[in-house]
Amino acid sequence: MPGFDTLTATWMVGDGPAPETRGVVLEQTRELDKFLAEIERRAFRMAQVSLRDPDDAMDVVQDAMLKLVRNYATRPSAEWRPLFYRILENGVRDLQRRRSVRKRFMTWLPGPKEDPDNEAQDPLDNVADAGPAVPEALMQAQAMQKLEASLRDLPARQREAFMLRNFEGLDVAETATAMGCSEGSVKTHYSRAVHTLREQLGEVW
Amino acid sequence: MSEETVDSRRLEERSRALFQESVERIDMPTRSRLTQARYAALRAAERTARTGWLRLPLLTSAGGVTAAAVLGAALWFGGAGSHHPPPVADSAAALEDLDLVASSDGGADNVEMLQDDLDFYAWADKTAGSEPSA
Repeated sequence: MPGFDTLTATWMVGDGPAPETRGVVLEQTRELDKFLAEIERRAFRMAQVSLRDPDDAMDVVQDAMLKLVRNYATRPSAEWRPLFYRILENGVRDLQRRRSVRKRFMTWLPGPKEDPDNEAQDPLDNVADAGPAVPEALMQAQAMQKLEASLRDLPARQREAFMLRNFEGLDVAETATAMGCSEGSVKTHYSRAVHTLREQLGEVW
Repeated sequence: MSEETVDSRRLEERSRALFQESVERIDMPTRSRLTQARYAALRAAERTARTGWLRLPLLTSAGGVTAAAVLGAALWFGGAGSHHPPPVADSAAALEDLDLVASSDGGADNVEMLQDDLDFYAWADKTAGSEPSA
């Protein structure tokens, strides 16, 4: 697979635009690369929290990257983050909708029921209860698992607001752009999410 | 600061730290797939940009050809003081004839026959034109 330098070097050879145009495009590509590299892991984890399945999360992130680059690369870089997350959240919702339809369809069919969320096979479910000998990393993993479970129990809009504001660090206006709603709605969703999570996790933590 | 606010802050900080740790624990194959996805997106951008660059010269050349054609047609058909007005009626008729010949039954044969007899018709036309009127 070509590295970024190889990739960008192809801009500089052969027939192409004027050198000034090439320079602008090259700079834009570098900025996009930097931006995507900076957010891709968090975006993947956020998609995974919502979808559970890592392959689905990967697909949604990849699709969001492509759509951002194809449709919004020329927009000011300050707009990329909320736009990217808007695409990502739309992708997550579309996938959840498709899953829901598939699940409904599968219930009509005879035979073993599908378990698209793979709920019965989460390896962390089989981990022994935390005792004094449990390593720190495992405790962290268990705490994160509880957080993820609680996040998944939240209504989708509350979960989106919480993850975008708290995990990704978007401000209220950026979150509103990403969620396609008003700033007031973001505040309401976020406040309700925090309240619910605190009730569910407060004592555990 | 109220106890509720303190609890909320603690929840936010704790959940953020846990999330960040989980991001850092992402395994290498997944990181690699993310990098590949990023490069795929950037390559798509490259292709889009190249198409954009190609489109402009193509549009320019297409526009130039169209303009030249329009100018040429204007000079040919509508040029002021032209001494040889185009035989529009004749041309139209000839086209119509050709169309009739081609569209009738055995059109291909008719066209072939027309081509074979072209010399004859040229001679007949010349002969008729040179005969003294009675």
